[in-house]
Amino acid sequence: MAPELALGGLQSWMQSVIVHPGPFDAALASPEATALLPPERLGDVLLPSATLAAGERIGIYHEMYLLRMAEALESDYPALAHFFGETRWPALVRDYVCDHPSRSYTLNLLGRSLADWLGEARGVPRRGFCQDLARLEWAVTEVFDAEETPRLDAQELEAVPPDAWDQVRLVPSAALRLVELRWNANEWLDSAKGDDHDHPKPRRRDAWVAVFSQSYAVYRRELSHPAFNLLRDLAAGHSVGQALAAALRRRGTPGPEALARWFQEWASDGLFTRLELSARLPG
Amino acid sequence: MNRFGFPDLGIGIGLRASHFGEILARWPELDWFEVLSENYMDTGGRPQWVLDQVAERYPVALHGVSLSIGSTDPLDREYLRKLKALADRTKARWVSDHLCWTGVVGRNTHDLLPLPYDEATLRHVIGRVRQVQDALERPLAIENPSSYLAFAASSMPEWEFLARLAEQADCALLLDVNNVYVSAFNHGFEPERYIDAIPADRVVQYHLAGHTNKGTHIIDTHSGPALDAVWALYARACVRTGPVSTLFEWDEAIPSFDEVRAEAAKAAPLRGVAALATGTHGA
Repeated sequence: MAPELALGGLQSWMQSVIVHPGPFDAALASPEATALLPPERLGDVLLPSATLAAGERIGIYHEMYLLRMAEALESDYPALAHFFGETRWPALVRDYVCDHPSRSYTLNLLGRSLADWLGEARGVPRRGFCQDLARLEWAVTEVFDAEETPRLDAQELEAVPPDAWDQVRLVPSAALRLVELRWNANEWLDSAKGDDHDHPKPRRRDAWVAVFSQSYAVYRRELSHPAFNLLRDLAAGHSVGQALAAALRRRGTPGPEALARWFQEWASDGLFTRLELSARLPG
Repeated sequence: MNRFGFPDLGIGIGLRASHFGEILARWPELDWFEVLSENYMDTGGRPQWVLDQVAERYPVALHGVSLSIGSTDPLDREYLRKLKALADRTKARWVSDHLCWTGVVGRNTHDLLPLPYDEATLRHVIGRVRQVQDALERPLAIENPSSYLAFAASSMPEWEFLARLAEQADCALLLDVNNVYVSAFNHGFEPERYIDAIPADRVVQYHLAGHTNKGTHIIDTHSGPALDAVWALYARACVRTGPVSTLFEWDEAIPSFDEVRAEAAKAAPLRGVAALATGTHGA
């Protein structure tokens, strides 16, 4: 056997033991680990110390793995971790990283599939609420790390004549995420700040939230349903004319003055970075 | 002076998000910052904005945890490209990472896992350090890890492995004195022997930190102040190398900026003694 393969086999065995979701004994005896090194041959590979057996020594790495994953996920999902609590959160992390282990040099991406995973995982309490809370917290994480692009000046927007709206597209800021919620996750996320943690009970509540950054601070703004739909269409690349026409066909869209206020507010929040003329327009 | 001509930056601390507010508010006096590479490679938001300002005002060096120099997986070329871009952007004085592997078969455990110290592994790591240095177009500083297990296959002590690696790959060394202490406890060797065997002219940086003694073993937690015994090892090393850029790491229950800086400042008199001993005072 080539030396490189010997090192590769050793690393594959160590990794299979370290990332195993079960107790350490089960990790050593798992089919993946046993195929590379039967447990009874552990002493051929690892040495004991004066105070620890060989198995206990690799057990240190096994124990630290899930603690590290839990810490990383909690940094992106502090409210969700709080909702699950100290007992259930580690179990959720264990099951999640089993299905979605890190394959990147950065832990920042570890949690990107959590919301979808919560929709399918077994035994998730208040599944819809948890998914909404996860989607909202992930949006906050993405916005925090997104580039803060220059903001579109409101006057630049006002200078566009109505007959040019069909040719004008508003390019959204890189630090804008739009999240549609069916549960009171936004309210719950507000309550997770500070130390008192007086949380509302999870309940059904439709909410439409824009998550954006301004001067490198992340904000969440709840929008009306019509405003959210219009903003979503604009962010998706529809021309201003197309998006407005679609908005006016929907029930509940207010008159021109209110629409103008929305645009001013969105420009003030820096939700758009620039105008594009005759850009590729969705049909 | 080390053989690479890297400057003695003085005494620094790690750039941590919990200190961003304090740093931005008063630009405190500090010789230099060490920056965790992976935390800034994919962000365009607040972390990058802060780093850009820090790099304008202080010398910085990059320190990574995901190079995985000892892995049998291929080197991650995208990671290296981004690392070089970050080093260029921040005018990093040097780039460092650990003598370890972090994962195989495309997976990342995000732990600094130990390697067997044998001839085959040495050849493997030498080849990869050369590739990394070519990709980064600068010397790489390799840090001695702390470890909790030892391999039956090892045919040489860690200090010999590091010395031969540095010589044959022509790389620099980052000597983590706390890691020497931790590994000496865990593996039962004399830390002074380790310190005395490191090629002094390749040491471009020191790390110091606190740790957690579990009784049967020590975990490198970067928590709290460093032990007197660790400072004594640092003093011993400095007398061999002369004053070298020194960095205090604190990553668990991180106190205020001033408290971390005060702990780091304990290195100053020991550097002074080393300067006198090596005739580099005022050099």
